[in-house]
Amino acid sequence: MRERIEQSDVSEPVARRASPLVVLLHTVTFRQARQFVPAVIPIVAATGFGGGRTTVIALVVGVTLLSLGTAALSWWRFTYADGPSSVVVTRGLLSRSVRTVPNDRIRGVEVETSVLHRLFGLVRVRIDAAAGAVAGKEEELVVDGVTRAEGDRLRAAVLTHRQAPDRADGGTEAAPAEEEFGRFDNRWLLYAPLVGSYLALPLAAVGALFRLAQELPENVRPNLGEAALASVRALGITVGGALVVLVAGSVVGAAIVNWGFRLVRRGGSLIAVRGLITRRHTELEVDRIRGATVAEGAGMRLVHAARVNALVTGLGDATRRGQLLPLGPRSEAWTLARRLVEDPGPLVAHPPAARRRRLVRATFAGLMVTVAGMLATVLAGWWWVVLVGLALTVLGIPLGRGRYAALGHATGPRSFSVRSGWLVREQVLLQHRAVVGWQVRQSFFQRQAGLATVLACVGAGRGGYAAIDMAAGDIAGFALAASEPWAATFSRPAP
Amino acid sequence: MTTAPPPVREPAWSLSRSAISLWVTEGVIGSLVLGVGAALFAVFVPGDLGFPFPVLRRLVPIAAALYAVVTIGVRPWFRFRVHRWEVTADAVYTLTGWLTRTWTLVPISRIQTVDVTRGVLQQLFGLSTVAVLTASSQGTVRVWHLEADVAQRVADDLAHRAEQVRDQAT
Repeated sequence: MRERIEQSDVSEPVARRASPLVVLLHTVTFRQARQFVPAVIPIVAATGFGGGRTTVIALVVGVTLLSLGTAALSWWRFTYADGPSSVVVTRGLLSRSVRTVPNDRIRGVEVETSVLHRLFGLVRVRIDAAAGAVAGKEEELVVDGVTRAEGDRLRAAVLTHRQAPDRADGGTEAAPAEEEFGRFDNRWLLYAPLVGSYLALPLAAVGALFRLAQELPENVRPNLGEAALASVRALGITVGGALVVLVAGSVVGAAIVNWGFRLVRRGGSLIAVRGLITRRHTELEVDRIRGATVAEGAGMRLVHAARVNALVTGLGDATRRGQLLPLGPRSEAWTLARRLVEDPGPLVAHPPAARRRRLVRATFAGLMVTVAGMLATVLAGWWWVVLVGLALTVLGIPLGRGRYAALGHATGPRSFSVRSGWLVREQVLLQHRAVVGWQVRQSFFQRQAGLATVLACVGAGRGGYAAIDMAAGDIAGFALAASEPWAATFSRPAP
Repeated sequence: MTTAPPPVREPAWSLSRSAISLWVTEGVIGSLVLGVGAALFAVFVPGDLGFPFPVLRRLVPIAAALYAVVTIGVRPWFRFRVHRWEVTADAVYTLTGWLTRTWTLVPISRIQTVDVTRGVLQQLFGLSTVAVLTASSQGTVRVWHLEADVAQRVADDLAHRAEQVRDQAT
């Protein structure tokens, strides 16, 4: 338990309101009014507005007024207070809710600035207060629309677990020295087309564009004759164009999200800043970091790129917030990961039985389809099913080998590591103290092959990280070498 | 039955024998539901349909009967032989499953909450489940089907000890 010195002169925490400017901001974005839309539509439909300019104007004015009213009301009803031991947020338009979060439950603070927020000089502060095994959006306090200075003060006050001096001081006296951990090099954006999640961005945009094109009136749409579509050249141009859009879109998407990414250590926290349009400022406590993952997708492996996430206990939305290196060269990724967690050394490969098992599992679906195809050929004459099955089986062989090659584990004096995955190969570095439990699983077939899977249960990230298909005899030793002495229960003879 | 030695040692204590009766009851209920489904299938699917249906008409009742035999006649005893649990000086240790076996080990120092739950069927047989929760969503250990008073004692003891040795690291 952390010592907390109670200051006698600390006054009762004052309930603060967000900046009044947020009313304008929320009026413009219809933030509160949006939830009334489902209720308003049937009313409008029932009263049966005719067309006409006046009704449209009346509607626009009415909706804006409604938005202004609800925004003002929710601003007035929303207060927050950061006391010496907890943060209290009171809100609710009609039903009131008061949420109190003790300071030692707070795992991270994020300051977010969208374009509109920047126009008004405001920020949004998200306070992450996850507790235990429960997950969900409910674990988050959002203070929307405070001034930049107040946002910084709130962040500092909440994270240092002490009441900052008065607002006038700014609350950042004797700022500890900064140490830069990493900085995004814009050349790394070129990796983006090889990363699945960035490729999805332009795909979504293209999909939206097509839907829009469908909505356009007939006479505006370019008239593409069927003959033109059928020609090879047109097809080539379409595919080439689509590829260019995809590649350019993913680079732009990655730039928007990661622009100016910078990771620094200031005192006891790691601070990540990034974003072109919406600036995000995420703060993690170094004390709560239990490990790191280095992930390489199949495409990223071609160019030796990787991504680093921190595993922080109780951090909500960890895949986004824990990001320490969104995209970069593998060497950079490993340097960063090793700064957070001691490297346990080179990975130990899993036994040959594990390779057989991976191969069997990867080709099994294809074999089943082949067998079903043979039946279907005899019974219904569907001979092509057999071909599909054979193709799947053949493709399964490199997949299985790749999946086996990814497997590995290592233990060191203070940390351990496991790796698995083919589509996304992920290596996890974890401290011994991170492990809150072990789970050993052995299926019928694993038992025959002398293998077992061991899962390290961790109160961070996905909640568990597995060493798949280890030699069954090595498990007890691995568990003991990778966590604290209690794991000896696995090998100690029963009383 | 097993060929290779288990990867880690077995916990020491077996469950209450009432667990077998409970599993048999569960098997009977499950088989009844499945049997009704199979009967409905046999009655309402006309016999003069195309390719897969004649085969299915014969396979479905066989599968249902097989399921009933396994879940009522085999699985409860098999499970009872596999399932084990133990509370040591510093950890809770369980073994569950029948074809796929799962050993779970959770140190008492990392326990966050201890729950005792009693399902409807469990109450019929005087049994309870002790669930030990940690900070990890996957690190939950459940000791199924203990006698109610044993379960309560174990839960109280674990909660008490967790209070004493708890460390902040989660």
